Amino acid sequence: MGFPSPAKDYQEDVIELSQYLVQHPTATFYFRVSGDSMINACMPHGSLLVVDRSLKPVSGMIVLAIINGEFTVRRIVQTRKSLVLHPENPAYKPLVVTEEMNMQVWGVVTAVVVKFKYEKNDRVG
Amino acid sequence: MKKMIALVDCNNFYASCERLFQPRLQNRPIVVLSNNDGCVIARSDEAKELGIEMGAPSFLIESLLQQHNVSVFSSNYTLYGDLSDRVMTTLSQFADQLEVYSIDEAFLNLTAFRHHHLTDYAHTIRNTVMQHIGIPVSIGIAPSKTLAKIANRLVKKRNKQLGVYCIDSMEKMQFALQNTPVKDIWGIGSQYTKLLTRNGFITAWDVARAPEEWIRKNLSVVGQRMYNELKGTACIAFEDMPPKKKMVCVARGFGKVLSEKHEVMEALANFTAMVAVKLRSEQLAATTIQIFVQTNAHRNNDPQYYRSLTISLPEATNSTNELIRHARQGLETIYRPGYNYHKTGCTAMELVSAEKVQYNIFDTENRARNSQLMKVVDLVNRSFGKDAVRFALQGFSTRWKLRQLNLSPCYTTRIDEVLTIKI
Repeated sequence: MGFPSPAKDYQEDVIELSQYLVQHPTATFYFRVSGDSMINACMPHGSLLVVDRSLKPVSGMIVLAIINGEFTVRRIVQTRKSLVLHPENPAYKPLVVTEEMNMQVWGVVTAVVVKFKYEKNDRVG
Repeated sequence: MKKMIALVDCNNFYASCERLFQPRLQNRPIVVLSNNDGCVIARSDEAKELGIEMGAPSFLIESLLQQHNVSVFSSNYTLYGDLSDRVMTTLSQFADQLEVYSIDEAFLNLTAFRHHHLTDYAHTIRNTVMQHIGIPVSIGIAPSKTLAKIANRLVKKRNKQLGVYCIDSMEKMQFALQNTPVKDIWGIGSQYTKLLTRNGFITAWDVARAPEEWIRKNLSVVGQRMYNELKGTACIAFEDMPPKKKMVCVARGFGKVLSEKHEVMEALANFTAMVAVKLRSEQLAATTIQIFVQTNAHRNNDPQYYRSLTISLPEATNSTNELIRHARQGLETIYRPGYNYHKTGCTAMELVSAEKVQYNIFDTENRARNSQLMKVVDLVNRSFGKDAVRFALQGFSTRWKLRQLNLSPCYTTRIDEVLTIKI
C-alpha cells in the first residue's frame, strides 16, 4: 500500500445538477418547448423546462399556463387593469387574459436547461 | 386516549394522472383500461355519469365510448407509480405516521393534531396535494380506520366538492353510519353481509347499536374488531412498514396468440427478468420458481392446454441470468407444439432475504460476479430506461407484448418522453 491521499479528509460529494435545479422534488416536473416565442428569456426551441408546482405564481414570473385547454409558456404580468401573458420575442403579441379562456397556472418555470448538440467527431482525443 | 385517523384517497386516481398532462380533458370523460386493454379499471366522474361500469370489458362498450367521445387510456403504471410516490411523500409531511394502503390511498395518524381544527388541517393537506402534484384527494377523518373509511366514502358519495368529512361528534358519527349500507363497511365479506342482513341489520349504524352480547355470540374476532371500530375504538393497528412480500409474480396474456416456442420463451424470459428486478429491488431472493403456459379458453375452436412447473433452485437467487436459465429449462419440459399460447408467467416463491443466502461450497455459479453484474444492469436500466440492457433470450420481438394501444408517455420518469409544449 502506498501513501494515503492527503485529499481524503477534504473529499466532498460531486456536484449534483438536479439538486441545484430542483428545490421541491415531489412538486417538480419537466417539459420541453417547441417554438421561439420565449427566445429572449433564454428559452430557445428544444429547451428543457424545470417546472415547480409548489410555488405561488407572482407577476413577472414565467409560468406554464393553460389557456383554452392548451398548455403554453409565457411571462405572467398583472397590470392595474388586467392579467397579461407576455411572450419574450417581439414577433409575438401579448395576450390579455379573459374569463372565457379559463386560464390556469399549471406551474412556475424555475429553470431552463439547454444542451448544445455537437457531432461525435467534434470531441478532442 | 382517543385516536384520530385520516384516510386520504385520490379521486379517480389513474384518470386524474392522465388528465394532469392533458388539460383538454378537464371535465371530459376518461377511462383507463387494464393490462392488455381488457376492461375498465378507472373512470373520471364524467365517465361514471355516462353509466360506464367498473370492470366493463372494453369491446362491449366500444360504441358507447365512441358515441360520447370518451378518452381511452391503456394503464401506464410507470406514470401512476411515480405520481403515487409524490402524493405519499407529500402526505408524510403532515403526520408522524403514514400507512400506504394502496397505490392511491393512505392512512395518516392525526392523533397528535386532535386539538387542532382537523377539518381545516385536512383542507390544508388536500390543497397542498392538489397544488404540488395536481391530484385531487378526498379525506375522511375519524377515531378508527373503519370509520375513516366510512367518512371517506361519504365524501365521495355525497360531497366530493367539499373533499373532507371529519367524524368528530356523535351526531356526525350517527349520520355517517346511517348512510353506510352494511355491504360497504370496510373489510366486510359477502358472508358477513348475508349474516347481518338476515338478522335485520341494514346500515352500519344498526351494527354499531347491536347488543355486544349478540356480536360476541355471532361474529368472529375479526367481526368483533369491526364492531368496536364502528363504535369509535381503534382496534386495527397502524402498519408503517409494509410486510415483506411472500411471492413475486409476473404473468400476462399476449397481445396475440403465439404458436412458436421461441416466441413464448421470449415472453417468459421478459416476465422472469421483471420478477428478478422486483426481487432485487426488495433485497429478496427466490428459493423456488413456478412457471406456466396457457392457451386461451375463450377461443372455443382451439385445443386447450395448461401446464405449470415448480422448479427448486439449487441456491436462492435473484439474478436475471440464473432465473431465466431455469425458466428456459422448465419451458423445455412443459412446452407442447401445436397449441396457440395466450399466456405465460413466472412466480418466485419461498423468498428469503438476499443477504442471508447460504452458499453451497459445491456451487458452480460465480455469485459475486453475478450480483455485481445485476447491480450494473439495474443501474444502467434505471438511467437509460427499462430493458436498455437485456439478456439475449429476452429478444426484441414485440409479438408477446401487451396490447396497449393508448399508452400515454412516461412524462415524469423518462427524459425523452417529457411533454413538448408548443410556444
